[in-house]
Amino acid sequence: MTLAAITTQTIGAGIFSSAFLLSLLIWVPVVAAVAIATMPNPRGRYDALVKQIAFFTNLGTMFILFIAYNQFENFLPTMQYEEKVPWLPALGVTYHLGVDGPGIAMLMLSGLIGIASVLASLGVRERLRSYFALLLLAEASVNGAIVARDFFVLVLFWGASIVPIALLILGWGGPRRVAAAWRLVGYWGFGTAALVVGVLALYAAAGGRTFDMETLLQTTLSPRIQLGISVAMVVAAATRLPLFPLHGWARDALAEAPAGVTVLVAGTTSRLGAFLLLRVVIAGEPAAAHLLSPVLAALAALTVGYAGLAAIRSLDIRHAGAYLAMVPGGVTILGLAAVSPLGIAGSVLSLFTGGLAAALIAGVCATLSERAQTRSVELLGGLAPRMPNIAWLMTLGAFGLLGVPILASFTAEVMTFFGAMKNQPVGGFAVAMGLAVTAVALAILLGRVLFGATNPDAPGVSDASLGETWYLGILAGALLWVGLFPGGPKIPGTDVPLFDPGFMLQMMAGVSDIASTNYSIPIPGASP
Amino acid sequence: MLWHAGDLLAAASGAASGARPSGFTFDPVAALQWAVPLLLIAPFASFLLALSSVRTRRSASATAMLGAVVTLLLTLLVAWGVIKKGSAFVATYKYVTMSVAFSGVANFQTFSIDLVMHADKLTVVALLVIEVCLIAAIGWHQLMGRNEPGAARFHGELTLLLFACAGILLSWDLAAMFGFWALAGALTYLMLAHRWGLDEPAMRARVALALPFLTDLCLLCGIGWFYARYGLANLSSLLANLHTNPGWTVRSIVLGSALLFVGVAGRLALWPFVAWMTRTAVTAPPAASAVVQAAWSIVAIVVLYRLTPIFVGSNTQTLQAMLVACAVAAVIMAVLGLFGNEPRRIITLAASSATAIAAAVVINAAYHSPAAYGIAGVAAVLAVAPARAAAMLAVSAIAGAMRTDDLTEMGDAWRRMRATAGALLLSALVIGLAATGALAFGVSSRSRIGFALGEAVLLLAVGAVRVFLGASFGPLRRRRTFDPERVREPQGALGFPYWLVVAGAALALASLATGWLGFIDGQKHPAAPAAALGLWAALGVAGFIACGLAFWRGKDGALGVSAFAGAWLQRGTSAGYHVVDRFLISPSMDLVRRFGDWLPAGDGAIGRFAAATGQLALASSRAPALPIVVALAVVLALVFALAAPGIVR
Repeated sequence: MTLAAITTQTIGAGIFSSAFLLSLLIWVPVVAAVAIATMPNPRGRYDALVKQIAFFTNLGTMFILFIAYNQFENFLPTMQYEEKVPWLPALGVTYHLGVDGPGIAMLMLSGLIGIASVLASLGVRERLRSYFALLLLAEASVNGAIVARDFFVLVLFWGASIVPIALLILGWGGPRRVAAAWRLVGYWGFGTAALVVGVLALYAAAGGRTFDMETLLQTTLSPRIQLGISVAMVVAAATRLPLFPLHGWARDALAEAPAGVTVLVAGTTSRLGAFLLLRVVIAGEPAAAHLLSPVLAALAALTVGYAGLAAIRSLDIRHAGAYLAMVPGGVTILGLAAVSPLGIAGSVLSLFTGGLAAALIAGVCATLSERAQTRSVELLGGLAPRMPNIAWLMTLGAFGLLGVPILASFTAEVMTFFGAMKNQPVGGFAVAMGLAVTAVALAILLGRVLFGATNPDAPGVSDASLGETWYLGILAGALLWVGLFPGGPKIPGTDVPLFDPGFMLQMMAGVSDIASTNYSIPIPGASP
Repeated sequence: MLWHAGDLLAAASGAASGARPSGFTFDPVAALQWAVPLLLIAPFASFLLALSSVRTRRSASATAMLGAVVTLLLTLLVAWGVIKKGSAFVATYKYVTMSVAFSGVANFQTFSIDLVMHADKLTVVALLVIEVCLIAAIGWHQLMGRNEPGAARFHGELTLLLFACAGILLSWDLAAMFGFWALAGALTYLMLAHRWGLDEPAMRARVALALPFLTDLCLLCGIGWFYARYGLANLSSLLANLHTNPGWTVRSIVLGSALLFVGVAGRLALWPFVAWMTRTAVTAPPAASAVVQAAWSIVAIVVLYRLTPIFVGSNTQTLQAMLVACAVAAVIMAVLGLFGNEPRRIITLAASSATAIAAAVVINAAYHSPAAYGIAGVAAVLAVAPARAAAMLAVSAIAGAMRTDDLTEMGDAWRRMRATAGALLLSALVIGLAATGALAFGVSSRSRIGFALGEAVLLLAVGAVRVFLGASFGPLRRRRTFDPERVREPQGALGFPYWLVVAGAALALASLATGWLGFIDGQKHPAAPAAALGLWAALGVAGFIACGLAFWRGKDGALGVSAFAGAWLQRGTSAGYHVVDRFLISPSMDLVRRFGDWLPAGDGAIGRFAAATGQLALASSRAPALPIVVALAVVLALVFALAAPGIVR
């Protein structure tokens, strides 16, 4: 048997044909969380064990996820790894899970962010069991929201993520944690209410028989109803992503949360907003998507521009990191606003790369402020020689945010802008201007904090620990990997994938169908 | 692409040993298939080497030099192959290909970014010039940049810049080209902002990030604009379909062309985008400044030349506007070069003015299509680039030795630093005269554009040579903590700018010959009239003489006038920045601050409102029911009565 023949079958193929693979991704962290929460830990004797359980739970789910990613058939337009069990038949609720290309991309992001957030939390000393139990619950809820194919289940998981994250900020956050936690609850609660309204409207408009996503999204609705539902979804998404002007929670929550929670929120939880828009508005309500397209483009431009300007004037490095973490969301929304095949594909990739870049920049700011013992940008200066690991990773994070080539975010931005130039050229140009402002903000931040003159009055600093370097390195490495091998590495001289079938190929499953079905490609200027 | 390394090695082996009728034979054409990708791999490998193992200044410099020299040798090999082949070598490597839709126009169903490597003579010559400039700058920096911080970082960035420049010149896919372009842009910023520890360089370097980044995004938007309409990013395919694709309009080509032009103009440093070069010329490490200026001018003019067919596809008004923009930029930059006495800024402006003239020639050739003398403009920039790099290095050496950046305080370099001053003189002459060939080939001296460009030549010649005259003659002022007697030629540093400017002079002479132009673009060109050559050269010479006369009459007076004008320019610029700050930046920041402050207050108000509503609801449950029901009934009756037909409507 030749090497090519052996490896044509992707490594890992056929290991899992389990009908409950996606449930594993949700419930294994929950079980681990319960185990951690209930295990005895007299005088912190098993603190290390708690961390190990959390870490290996994430590593295990990532392993399962990687197998799922390898087995994933990127040419199938349908949902894969589907699970469907009747739950509340009277209401038409089913426990329906499934995943397509964007879903698998989000799951991969969630897996990476999960590991990173646990590694970033290794420095937590107080009430470890509660902390890691809540962290795992938050991760589980995010995974649940990603794979949910029933609106009822989606709403449950969507809302469920609020509680553990708010408690994590409230219990382990910085000095202004109370206000930050309540603000997050307020905004996300409002967003969840908007989601509930939208879902109920859709449910009612479709006859009130089922909450199943496929059925509801395939129901033909009048443009007016589509618009109403979509507006509610946009509000829900804007509170979560966040988009200007519903971003009020972002600065405080991302700045006050412990590093691990910041990474989780900036990386995956907030990406759920754009994922919801893709799932419901772009895939399900094409008429409304076209109507809302200019609004979305404007929101994207305002978000990127505002975040850049606010980051320039921030004197708190964690505030600056929080604002900068808003930028990728704007780029993602621009891709969706384009309502063109390439724009949608770009926004799906941007979900992944934006999550990584946002987590990296917010995380590195959090770690840096911990290691430098101050958050004041005025006190920080000339840290690059004293914390070289953090300096490199912060520079990579800045480049990831701006979409410098070799990193995956470059391809995402190219696709997004190319897509946007068809239907939303003004929005695309405005977002580009916002990115220029962001570049200035990053230049000021990097120049002042890393490379500027050293401040003799600043407290002592130390470089990132091994765990911190690893968690930031994972995020930067993933950006680099997909940037270098978007189609996956091949066995030299063949087109046979080595061990990664190619992120950009896997994520496209189903996306082409969304675009083909809903957005046929008119040629600008051509008569219809 | 890394996975093709095995194929490349096999190809390399085949090229060396494949055709062997009798003894060892080497076929440079066969070597192209591995040598061309190696043009990218070699500098990148050198960068990785520097990144992973280099710590000291010497090893960093040696690694960067090794990478540059290996790339230079490879470029020579590719040049040999391309010359022998007689046509361009094209190789395509897949980066990413994905299906984005199953219906609609075929071009839009798939998205791909390919690394289309197109190695022709122009690519090779441009790359050679960049490599020569880079090697000279590294060599100069080894001696003169010993005190610069972060040697490993600096040399790593230099090597990666070479990689990015090679990528831009080789890429025929616009998306891939933009990738390399953006990478080179990021590296440019890092190099110009290298002295982070000092506030002034860091602050000035922000302009080097923001301004060209903005124009880079214009380039991205321009490429995206065409992609959105044609579904093509390959330059050849795009040009072939420019007027045949369904739905094309002149308007869309005009807008796309404008975006592309602005994108290239930013990196070409045409006024008003020149600030990123002039503001960093004094504060950046001289080697970085020299390499950045030389490399970007070459890369940008080549890209402009290649994009010109798209501009031709728009309309004559667009081309005319671009031509006027180039001419205006050339004149204004030449005039600005007369103001102020910072020698590196003056050199930058004079050289950028010469580049703008060359760009005007390229556009003018397109305007008078099917004339094919646009290549003369490219040839002029190929000559200006090494000369401006040499001038930057030479004048930096002089400024360093004399410890001043003010021409009024400089002097006597001709006696104390003869070789460096000689290199500066030759650089000034090359910068002043390099555009002669391009103008003689491409512009009528009787046209209005010819008049404007002639004026620019005269003024930029004055600007370029006044740096030499100011630094070389007259007394060297004695200042506190500065002893003029200690000013002397730095040992070993003079060779690099000297040889670099000789290369520039040779290229300037070559740009007068039709054979050279024909070699670069593979077309036949009629010889330029000797009278035209004489006329345009005379303008430059007139500039030199005028400046010489002014300095002969009184150096202090001439420089005093420049200083006075420079002070007014400074005031004007400050006022301009103040206006921008007052009416754009400050209000924007204030708006953001107010919004940022309002958000918590607004949230709090909403929270209080919600709490008050809840308390009201609780209170109402404790209140007597009957009066409330009656009150509500009255209110509802009023509302319905008013809303009912016949009352209001």
